[in-house]
Amino acid sequence: MRALVDRVTAIREVPVFIALVLVVVVTGIANPQFLSASGAQDIFLGVAVVATLAVGQSVIIVMRHVDLSVGSTAGFAAYLIGNESARNHGLIYCLLVALALGLAVGAVNGLLVAYLKLPSLVVTLGSMYVVRGIFNQIAAGNTINDSQAPKFLGFVGRNSIAHIPDLFIFAAILAFIVSLIMHSARSARDLYAMGSNPPASALVGIPVARRTFFAFLASGAVSGIAGAVLLSRFHSADANSGLGLELNVIAACVVGGVAIAGGVGTPYGALIGALLLQSITLALGALGVSQFWQQAVNGTLLISAISLDRYLSSRIKPTTIMRVSS
Amino acid sequence: MQKKLIRATVALVAVIGLIGAAAPSQAAVSGIKGGLKIAIMPKQINNGYFTAWAKGGATACKEIGARCTYLGPTQATGAAQVQFINQIIQKKYKVLVISAADQNAIVPALNKARAAGITIVTSDADVDPSAAASRVTAVLPAESARIGTAEIDWIAAATGGKGKIAILSAAATAANQNAWIAAMGPYLTSKYPNMSWVGGTVDKSVFYGDDDATKSVAQFDAILSQYPDVAGIVAPTTVGVLAAAQEKKAKGASVKVTGLGLPSQMAPYIEDGTVEKVGLWNPIDLGYVAVYAGARAASGSFKGTVGSTFKAGKKTYKVTAGGVTYLGDPFTFDKSNIATFKKIY
Amino acid sequence: MSILQGRKFTWDKGVMLLLVVTAIVGSFVTPYFATSSNLSFVIQDIAEIMLIALPMTFLIIAGEIDLSVASALSLVSSTIGILFRHGWPFGWAIVVGLIVGALCGALNGFLVTILGLQSLAVTIGTLALFRGLCFVLLGNQPVNKLPTSWTNLGYNSIPHTFLPYSFILLVIFGALAWVLLHYTRLGRWTFAVGINVEAAKFSGIPVRRLKFALFTVTGLMSGIAGVVYTLRFASASPDSASGYELGVIAAVLFGGVSIAGGIGTLWGVLAAVLELGVIRSVLQLIDVSANALLIVSGALLLISVAVPRAIEILRNRRELITP
Repeated sequence: MRALVDRVTAIREVPVFIALVLVVVVTGIANPQFLSASGAQDIFLGVAVVATLAVGQSVIIVMRHVDLSVGSTAGFAAYLIGNESARNHGLIYCLLVALALGLAVGAVNGLLVAYLKLPSLVVTLGSMYVVRGIFNQIAAGNTINDSQAPKFLGFVGRNSIAHIPDLFIFAAILAFIVSLIMHSARSARDLYAMGSNPPASALVGIPVARRTFFAFLASGAVSGIAGAVLLSRFHSADANSGLGLELNVIAACVVGGVAIAGGVGTPYGALIGALLLQSITLALGALGVSQFWQQAVNGTLLISAISLDRYLSSRIKPTTIMRVSS
Repeated sequence: MQKKLIRATVALVAVIGLIGAAAPSQAAVSGIKGGLKIAIMPKQINNGYFTAWAKGGATACKEIGARCTYLGPTQATGAAQVQFINQIIQKKYKVLVISAADQNAIVPALNKARAAGITIVTSDADVDPSAAASRVTAVLPAESARIGTAEIDWIAAATGGKGKIAILSAAATAANQNAWIAAMGPYLTSKYPNMSWVGGTVDKSVFYGDDDATKSVAQFDAILSQYPDVAGIVAPTTVGVLAAAQEKKAKGASVKVTGLGLPSQMAPYIEDGTVEKVGLWNPIDLGYVAVYAGARAASGSFKGTVGSTFKAGKKTYKVTAGGVTYLGDPFTFDKSNIATFKKIY
Repeated sequence: MSILQGRKFTWDKGVMLLLVVTAIVGSFVTPYFATSSNLSFVIQDIAEIMLIALPMTFLIIAGEIDLSVASALSLVSSTIGILFRHGWPFGWAIVVGLIVGALCGALNGFLVTILGLQSLAVTIGTLALFRGLCFVLLGNQPVNKLPTSWTNLGYNSIPHTFLPYSFILLVIFGALAWVLLHYTRLGRWTFAVGINVEAAKFSGIPVRRLKFALFTVTGLMSGIAGVVYTLRFASASPDSASGYELGVIAAVLFGGVSIAGGIGTLWGVLAAVLELGVIRSVLQLIDVSANALLIVSGALLLISVAVPRAIEILRNRRELITP
């Protein structure tokens, strides 16, 4: 029994999950509406975009890099999908356009970071500005509205299966698939090594540049897909879509156990982190905290979450693939 | 002898000068100098509402033979607008038509522009009343009270004159919205005694969506979560009312939604019955009238004093207390006229 | 004798060159750039960013970062505003505001050095906290009608010159930072910590105290920037300076400071902040749209790291070929 408890608590994502349950239960007691089907839907639906982006970002942070361009790319992708759909192109074509955009941005980031060995913070900060600028120029004052977006996306954004919104199911499946890849694929496991000890990983023969490039490519692809989620969720897109998402995404990853120092964390941890942050935000409203206090409380809780995670992780073995059997 | 010569020369020069000034240089409209350099500055450029606003300004510019430029920041902040105000000063524009992104922060910059000889007209969003001297006039849609009370009338019509209502606003510091909301409180109490605010008072019933789609949607959800029995939501901002309509449709909620909405954006939701009615003034008119006001002031024929009038196109407008010119009550859009208006703006 | 051989090319020299070139080209392509009123405005425009970029340079060289600076600036501004609204004399309100700024920095310092949290992550949290406190203080009521004797300092120029009053602060703090970083033990320690924290600890450098001090000073300078901001805009609003933190960090990185730590010069940062202001001014005066300006800012940032690296790679190739 003791061994079982030890093994469970050894999992890095457990504290975050417990925190999530705590927040939901405590708020639910104070305001039962929070636990209703509609309240739960608000959490799941509200988190869909950030959760999708967090899955992609976790792959990057694990390598000890960061990708600040995700918000602008997702917003641009959302706008492009709507734009192409309004010109009567089919759904698949529109989605491919979004994917292509994401891959293009990811490729540029990847080339600069992996092969020119430039720092990812600088590169993705620069590409964030460039993408946003091009996006603004193309979108100008136009708004994509519900009637222009693909019907399928509009439907998915409003539909739920067993009270769980389609978009969240999508994000969860994505998190599951990517986590599986990160856990079992040899090339993906290399990313953890690269994040833990960059010089050593090169010495043991890991093709660092290639792995880094493909990881950024993957993050870009996820950003493109997140654009579809964005359009689906909000049924509209304009030049300000996706603005400021990147800091929320990074916060979700960090809270979910994906340490900025690299080498630890999983996509499903990032998903739970996103859920935790979203529930805190909605809980503050449900608890009747004044509008003017909400951001301050949110910031305090974020700091607490990061501190708690640090404290617990210093006492727990991190989730790496090199599990030493005891 | 010399004195006489000088006096004659001066007189001659003065006469020539007067004739030169009186003869309008290709003035398309009387009383307005031709070829004026006019800057039209929105709160932020990538915004459909301001694109329409600028279209009105451009129409006026063409009529009066002026050279107009549409420029502004990507972020709707005062600090960003100040950079562009400096650009106006440096490039020696004659007139600035501006929608104030921040009612206080841009005032020092506007005063500097005035000192450099530029005529300032605010439109759509004014500076703080204490800084009224920094602009010739403010061209606003209608008195804050009328915009606020009109919205209450719309929501009351939708809810049948009873129930509790909440407000989904823009940023907490948005001066326009705050002024409209201030008028809503007393009006609701006096005219609709069977209606009340979800939080007890109007101040406790305002949720800030920051003119951001994500936040506005989240705040709509928060209203329903905190006050499940809410009967109506008023959103005095185009971003907010659009988000509310979308979310209402997505959740299949029964709460009534109304507010200030762009007909082109709200058309799908009016046509399918999600929203009964929204209203808005015509931003095209706002821009059009403001350019005329600025051009006339720069030509010396309009001073902006309270009670004075000026002509914009075919209509005449009057300056009221505080130096503000009002256009008139907002239009309302419902099933009967949305098809026409959604093509205009 | 090409640029590849000879003296080592570092980006800070590149930025200074770029600054000179932009200023000269700018004076030719538009007559409005090289006027005293425009230059006065450019200095005002970059003053707050410059003031915060100075301590941020130390922080990044030491291997840390602070994303909460803009929120700290706003909190100090809001503090000054709320105190003034409650009748405090403006001078005392400023003093309390500066203390608040230092406290913000100290909180960051505590979280990073005592609790051992990653600065990138935790300053995202303090960013939200400080900004939230602005709203707690002011709600939705910005403070205006500040005393003109003070706001004149914010908006007017020093008599008989075209320089704004904030220029005095820039000169004093810029010189101070330059000397501290490159000519004192404090500066040497900062570099050492950035290059190798463990080695620095072993050689007796008080790493924790150093980083704590750097964070606190960053908070204090954000406070001074907050005072300048409040005077310049003659108002205090809870949503001031939103997004400035990325502008500061972009400027510091553009100045040749390595995000990995241990490398950078103060003159590079000074030139970078000036250059960003100058380029924005020139491009605006030739009617480049705000959207295009975003693209240019991003491209400049990419160039600032790509060019030195490309030159380094080319040089390495040459060295491999030539015996």
